[in-house]
Amino acid sequence: MASLSLIPSWFFGYDVLLELAFAIITLVVSFFAFKIYKLTAQRQPKLFGISFLLISLSYFVRSFVNFAIIIKLNEDICRVLKVVSVNTWNSFGIYAYVILFIAGLITLAYMTIKVNNSRLYALLLTIPIIILLLSPNPLYLYYIISSILLVFIAIHYFKNYIKRKQPKTLLVLTAFAFLLFGNIHFIFSVNHGLFYIIGHFLELGAYLLILTNLILVIKK
Amino acid sequence: MNIKRDRLQIIHDILKVIRDKNGTIKPTHILYKANLSHQMLDEYLNDLISRKFVVENIEKKGKTYSLTDKGFNYLSKYNLITDFIGSFGLDMD
Repeated sequence: MASLSLIPSWFFGYDVLLELAFAIITLVVSFFAFKIYKLTAQRQPKLFGISFLLISLSYFVRSFVNFAIIIKLNEDICRVLKVVSVNTWNSFGIYAYVILFIAGLITLAYMTIKVNNSRLYALLLTIPIIILLLSPNPLYLYYIISSILLVFIAIHYFKNYIKRKQPKTLLVLTAFAFLLFGNIHFIFSVNHGLFYIIGHFLELGAYLLILTNLILVIKK
Repeated sequence: MNIKRDRLQIIHDILKVIRDKNGTIKPTHILYKANLSHQMLDEYLNDLISRKFVVENIEKKGKTYSLTDKGFNYLSKYNLITDFIGSFGLDMD
């Protein structure tokens, strides 16, 4: 997996900052989920906290990988452009990002099905990750698997909104719909740079909505 | 109460009943004030004891239950808990 997507050159750096912002927001959500878990000792907040922690770590890794690419490209442009060295240097980081993000979404999807079965969780985690690692084209597969998981999660939040019909549940539903559409844009970003930018802005919208909901909950 | 109570709300009701009795109460009082069956009460009290929300005191007159700091903390943050759980779709059981 050479690189995640085609990235327009002017967007270099902005994507690193956005991913860092996503990492921090998801880390804050994870922190509060663990606080709720500490208060209630229930498993759903624990799983929610774990899933957001994994997603946060994935964004930290992705941000670092993209930052490293920029640094490496700048160095190589000064000498001779060696894209191969960029690929080698970042392959491990990109795989780490993909696995952490998928693991985060699987944990979130597992939380929504309300089944307490560690063997099932292990199975859900293992199959997609092994398929990703063995696939000749893991990038497309990663975006497709994460899109399927996000559809599943978005349906859960749609049901949650229908059940409660509150502005806060609508915020979270919209956030996960944005994440889903953002992810679908990333599928096309492999060939078109513009989709990479749109995907990032949809993700930004999603995480800002999640952060807004968290602030509303804490402030009340 | 018309609406079926969820697990968090039942825990809240039990802890509130204990708090309203100055932090210590007999099981029979919890039974009717929290509107629970005997089986449910046993189940919930065992759960709350194992999670250190409540402690059981065995005295000459019988058993009483007291709130721990963790139990008081749960009550004070109940609105935050339900709001977080409700908005992020973390329904209990």
